[in-house]
Amino acid sequence: MTVQTHPHVSRDLRLAARQGLLPARGGGWLAGFGNMFAKELGEWFRTRRWLWQLLIWLIILNGFVAFLLFGLPALATIYPELKPDAEGIFPGLPPEVGATYMYFSIVVMTGTLGAIILAQDEIIQEKQSGTAAWILSKPAARQAFILTKLLSNAIGVLVFIVAIPGLILLGEIFLATHKVQSLAPFLAGVGLVWLALFFYISMVIMLGVLFESRGPVLGIAFGVMFGGMILRNYIPQILYVLPLSMESIALMVVQGMPLPAMFISQVIATAVLSVVFLLVALWRFQHVEL
Amino acid sequence: MDTSDSLVIETHNLSKVYPEAQALQSLNLTVKEHSIFGFLGPNGAGKTTTIKILLGLIQPSGGRATILGHDVHRDSVEIRKRTGYLAQDPRYYEHMTARQILGYTARFFYHGPKDLLEARVQEMLEMVGLEDKTDRPVRGFSGGERQRLGIAQAQVNYPDLLILDEPAASLDPMGRHDVLAVMEKLRKYTTIFYSTHILEDVQRVSDTVAILNRGRLIAEAPIDELLAGDGGSIMYDITLKSETEAALAGARERVVSQSWVQNLSVTADDSLTRWQVRVTDEATAEDQLQRLILEDRSLNVKHFGRKIYNLEEVFLELVGKENSK
Repeated sequence: MTVQTHPHVSRDLRLAARQGLLPARGGGWLAGFGNMFAKELGEWFRTRRWLWQLLIWLIILNGFVAFLLFGLPALATIYPELKPDAEGIFPGLPPEVGATYMYFSIVVMTGTLGAIILAQDEIIQEKQSGTAAWILSKPAARQAFILTKLLSNAIGVLVFIVAIPGLILLGEIFLATHKVQSLAPFLAGVGLVWLALFFYISMVIMLGVLFESRGPVLGIAFGVMFGGMILRNYIPQILYVLPLSMESIALMVVQGMPLPAMFISQVIATAVLSVVFLLVALWRFQHVEL
Repeated sequence: MDTSDSLVIETHNLSKVYPEAQALQSLNLTVKEHSIFGFLGPNGAGKTTTIKILLGLIQPSGGRATILGHDVHRDSVEIRKRTGYLAQDPRYYEHMTARQILGYTARFFYHGPKDLLEARVQEMLEMVGLEDKTDRPVRGFSGGERQRLGIAQAQVNYPDLLILDEPAASLDPMGRHDVLAVMEKLRKYTTIFYSTHILEDVQRVSDTVAILNRGRLIAEAPIDELLAGDGGSIMYDITLKSETEAALAGARERVVSQSWVQNLSVTADDSLTRWQVRVTDEATAEDQLQRLILEDRSLNVKHFGRKIYNLEEVFLELVGKENSK
């Protein structure tokens, strides 16, 4: 391998070049991105975390839907007194629609909790333990550090909480009804559910940058989630800006129904707020003292 | 941009103010290429603050600093490409092994064939003597092993500047010996800027020393100069034996009357009397001081020599003076 050197290139790079190594790619705000992103994805996919996450979400999401689609009707054949319950699981809805709505509802509720818990420690832990200072003493940009945390969690949540259980749901529906769901609208619905989870991940990452302890991070994130669920009954206008009815929006998209203005606004506001949270995190982290 | 005048670190009126205290006040430092620069100070003097500003981990409140000709604020990533850093209490991802930590660190600097990166990692592990612990998670490492891993990860890019924050503070004597040996080994390849409060270590390996106290630089000089005496004055250590007090008093009178003698302090121990004579003119003192004493033949000079300070004396004197202001 022939490597040209330049008199102004520092000694370490010349030494490395002689050994066949080249300077790491990526500069500016992406410096260190590839390395950190590979490490963060590795935390999801190259440790046992993937197995635990897969099991947890398959049991919670697909297990519950399977119980409704197969378990309860089977039990009703053994215990006739359960028959009214089995027939009233999805009142007025075909089973495939009811099962999809049930999946969206549970994934928005439990998935949000999961996403908050999984992401809440990402920044705080690194700041408190000193690993952030260690990493950022290397040629790594602070923006890249935040982006890798956000993207790795967004991908992990997408794969384990949204995509894999969603695909298995399609199989469950097919087994129960022998009907094949249209893939494109289903994926659009799943995408909206993921957007709601992304909103919370983005918010928690931002809060992790803004605060020095887990209390405010979890308090504010859960406050938005649970407080919003209560407040929407009294101030329905908050549905214009917060992802508090994303399961209904997702179901309407799957069914090809037109969305009311409130729901369109909710989707746009969720996406915009997620980006705003990210921008605040990127800006503020530039000034965080490590 | 390249270095100028072989200066690796330059700070100009660097300061850092926290709401509760001024951590650093108008710090002006220069660190020359290939020096081992000891950055001394009591706890809370501002050493770690300075290091963190140099690495871009915190921002200064005022002043500026350059490393290898790059501004520490504007070109921080460029600086970190050519710098290695060991924190005071190094922290890593605890589930990772030493090999994984070093591989991860190396990939911030380089890309290339996996086996070549592995070779670099192996070289670093051997340099710090961790080759038999490569695949153990670092959560099981002792303080000394962590510190050695810290030096390895700081050196993985063969940096032009190695910044070590209290590299031997938490180590036992053997661990300290090992770390200092590694530093001495690295001196021909790199400039080492390290903070410490272990004066013995500084005296052993440093060629230049700066002393920081309460955020202020109170001395910066080559170590030989610092140990020779403070502020350009020179001290002579003289031990005398005399049968009579009068002879001693006469000799003392002759010495203190000289314009080049700043002061003379006396301590007595059994039959011996010890003088410490501070002078301003070394050449004249070398020529005349002993003659002045020996004008009285009844005096017996048991020891005469230029006082060599140890760093602890210099440090305590300078910090004491500063604290009493």
